[in-house]
Amino acid sequence: MRTLASVATDGAHGRRLRVDRQLVAIGVIGGLLSGLLGVGGGIIMVPLLVFWAGYGQREAHALSLGAIIPISIAGIATYGIAGEVRYGPAIALAAGSIAGAQLGAGMLAKIDERLLKLIFGLFLVGVAVLMVVRG
Amino acid sequence: MSGPTLYVALVAFGLLAGVASGLLGVGGGTLMVPFLTLAAGLSQHQAEATSLLVILPTAIAGTLALRRRGVGNPGLALRFGVIGSVGAIAGALLALALPASTLRLVFAAFVAVVGLRLIRDGLHSGERA
Repeated sequence: MRTLASVATDGAHGRRLRVDRQLVAIGVIGGLLSGLLGVGGGIIMVPLLVFWAGYGQREAHALSLGAIIPISIAGIATYGIAGEVRYGPAIALAAGSIAGAQLGAGMLAKIDERLLKLIFGLFLVGVAVLMVVRG
Repeated sequence: MSGPTLYVALVAFGLLAGVASGLLGVGGGTLMVPFLTLAAGLSQHQAEATSLLVILPTAIAGTLALRRRGVGNPGLALRFGVIGSVGAIAGALLALALPASTLRLVFAAFVAVVGLRLIRDGLHSGERA
């Protein structure tokens, strides 16, 4: 009884158990970016989950990664109807990517949160520079 | 690059993007889209569409790996993502209607701001409550 009561009133636990309005907004924003730019959407969902919704960095990464599953299916279907998906390169990339994801996730469970912020931040700045140089 | 060389490069690059996905919680699309346009010769729209098809199995594999380690709440994450898929359809339709060069610059500015903010946070603050 005590446990149930504390779960029901604890803000942090409440966020973990249901999709509240904040999560709806973050999901839709992440989905928009994912469909628009062909990314998972974690690039915007993780900062919003951390800075706006108050999740820890590690928890936000896990939540974002799971959400990318239905979000990417919706994007693939939309681009697929337009005939833009290239299956050969996708299969080759995915073969390496799945192995790499296991490695990365293994490191995530152990890594320091501040270090993760630094790595993620540097990664994003590098991507931004690359995009400007290309354009 | 073309033929077998391209496919070897694609597998190797996929490995790198996969580590980013598992580690950073992103699908690695921000790495793969530029790679697919520059090295594989895909158009911006083709690269984005193909990137999403790589992100899907990578996110599944990453989520399963986290679940084994007891990190996060996969059920909540999936429900969260189903809502997000409404945005994904709208975003993809918008991308198909717009020139990619404009969108790329807007996104670059946004990514830079978020990246610098995370670096600042990582350097100057401790654990968030």
